[in-house]
Amino acid sequence: MALRLLTPRSLHPGAWWAWAIGCAVVASRTTNPAILGLLISVVFLTVILRRGSAPWAMAFRLYVYLACFIVTIRILLRIVFSAQGPTVLFHLPTLTLPGILDSVRLFGPVSAEALLGAGISALQLAAMVVAIGAANALANPKRLLAAVPGALYEWGTVVVIALSIFPQLAESFGRVRRARQLRAETGKGAHLIKNVAMPVLSDGLDRSLVLAAAMDSRGYGRSMAVSVFSRRLTSVLLVVSSLALCVGAYGLLDTGFTPLWMGVPMVVFGLVAGLVGLRLSGRRVVRSRYRPDTMLAAEWLVLGSGVAACVGILILGIFQPMVAFPPVSPLGWPDVSILAIGTIVVLLLPAFMSPPAETPSTRVVENPHKSVGFLGADTQNGGFGLHHGENWGENPSISVTQHHNAMVLRGFSPLGVNSGEICVRGNDDSL
Amino acid sequence: MNQIHNPVPLEWKSALMLTILTVAGLAMFSWPLLIPVRVEDGMVSTSPFIFIAILPLLVFLVLAQISEKGMDAKALAILGVLSAINAALRPLGAGTGGIETVFFLLILAGRVFGPGFGFVLGCTSLFASALLTAGVGPWMPFQMLASAWIGMGAGLLPNSIFGRMIRGKWEILMLVIYGIFTAYFFGMIMNLWFWPYLIGPSMVGTTELAYIPGGSLIDNLRRFLVFSLITSTAVWDTGRAITNSVLLVLVGLPVLAAFRRTVRRAAFNPEITFEVTP
Repeated sequence: MALRLLTPRSLHPGAWWAWAIGCAVVASRTTNPAILGLLISVVFLTVILRRGSAPWAMAFRLYVYLACFIVTIRILLRIVFSAQGPTVLFHLPTLTLPGILDSVRLFGPVSAEALLGAGISALQLAAMVVAIGAANALANPKRLLAAVPGALYEWGTVVVIALSIFPQLAESFGRVRRARQLRAETGKGAHLIKNVAMPVLSDGLDRSLVLAAAMDSRGYGRSMAVSVFSRRLTSVLLVVSSLALCVGAYGLLDTGFTPLWMGVPMVVFGLVAGLVGLRLSGRRVVRSRYRPDTMLAAEWLVLGSGVAACVGILILGIFQPMVAFPPVSPLGWPDVSILAIGTIVVLLLPAFMSPPAETPSTRVVENPHKSVGFLGADTQNGGFGLHHGENWGENPSISVTQHHNAMVLRGFSPLGVNSGEICVRGNDDSL
Repeated sequence: MNQIHNPVPLEWKSALMLTILTVAGLAMFSWPLLIPVRVEDGMVSTSPFIFIAILPLLVFLVLAQISEKGMDAKALAILGVLSAINAALRPLGAGTGGIETVFFLLILAGRVFGPGFGFVLGCTSLFASALLTAGVGPWMPFQMLASAWIGMGAGLLPNSIFGRMIRGKWEILMLVIYGIFTAYFFGMIMNLWFWPYLIGPSMVGTTELAYIPGGSLIDNLRRFLVFSLITSTAVWDTGRAITNSVLLVLVGLPVLAAFRRTVRRAAFNPEITFEVTP
């Protein structure tokens, strides 16, 4: 069982997002620098232990840079724009801006309390940014698209086309460049726009029409017939729910002037109406899914740790406010309680209790250009159902790779759209 | 505009929802000026974070309404290709002196393909580029909506004035003016919603650039303008305005021609009629 829980695979992206949002909520509900520091280290550890080697996993460092930038800029801004307080650390000369900005005073005495206050609130933001970066690094963005509801099916298709065509642009650019070399064109500067950028753009636009014809002939973008009444009801629900959400958002703001019914009840009403509207609107789209994302034990564990940490930090805020929100002045070390540590430890569980990411130890079957054969889901025999030997012609755009216990066959249509990825898993439970 | 030339037609219901979204979205962007939130222990209340949840929902509802009748596959394919190009252009300028290469294509596409297309392209290209660069975060819905407005606005620019079609260099001039306006608009509005958190709230009278919770509209607006001028308008937004103008002047005409050619070839949403031949 333990072995199965830790078999490398990529988790449902929703689980990692729930965990990361849990981390962000914890960061937003405490100003204790010790808790924030622990939280940031937990996020780092989890990312290091559980991320794969995909390009999106490598973007984590950008979020770390952003977090460092936020901390630096807030402390610097605090020093520049007056950091007065009881415990003065050092003095800087005071500057007054000229002209219409003469009410602005820069620099002056710098106090420890001001720096600490700025640093802690920056640390909160930094922790949230790092948590979001962790979700981006851990969750597969393409599987996130599979969770798009039916009502947004068309727009999901657009994003899938964009993501699949993206590598094609580089190829298109290469062809234009080769053509220029053949013609011995050496123009630079503005010529590059006319001779390189425009052909790539026109090529892309022309290809999109070819792609549309291919999609039309395969029935993409077509919708089921839906009764007039159902369509009217959908529109009414969508309009009503967006109005209710706007009113509810205003009611939820902590202004102290809004009546109670404008807050939570209005948002809940808007949410329900919106979800029903989206569901109704999605009925016109019929999709088949051959590789659904399922929520298994590991997913629930990751998701649960995020939820549990949210609950923990809320309880901490109610019962031990001095731990959750320690005062900046007078200066002193922040207190830490068992409950606070427990909240952070819960967030650490996924780092050790969830399956690690799949490593790209994919092995290309020797000479994929030729030996790709007939594909049949031969799951009854527990086999991979992929028979080599039959020749699909000299199509170099079909490749067979092996992911641990699963064969993956990827086919690329000449249009460059990933026309299908078929994954056949073995039946053997021990794997 | 002829139906055949409009890949993403907007029915009156979609237009109504877009209006609601625009009014509500503007209010959510500029909440620091409009809404007096409470301050707890010197921290601005985090209750405006509710917008981070509500705004994407509203955008989704509007998108669902726009595609309610089903979409032309040609519109989807062109949207996909242009989103990919936009997503490829975006990292080109990122981080170098405010050079922002996203908007000029958005403006040109919105101009040719219409406001509905411009709105959707703004959403999808920012979303695709966020997925490609792993840039998904609370700022994404705000970026999506702001660039969707830019694309939609370009589609709403007048096609003719005093009965004369605006084409050629006058069209480019109009788009350059619009590009400069949107550069500053985007910078300001993206600063505005996050301003109280970036700089921290003001203890009364200490920080001249900080948000005063519950302060008067004029006072907070003045503080915000000073903050924005010092931190971003002078460098980032001006860089963005220059990039927009230069790119529009350099490639505007050929790109417009390529788009118009595509529109003619595509013939979106064709009316299908059956006739009995005698």
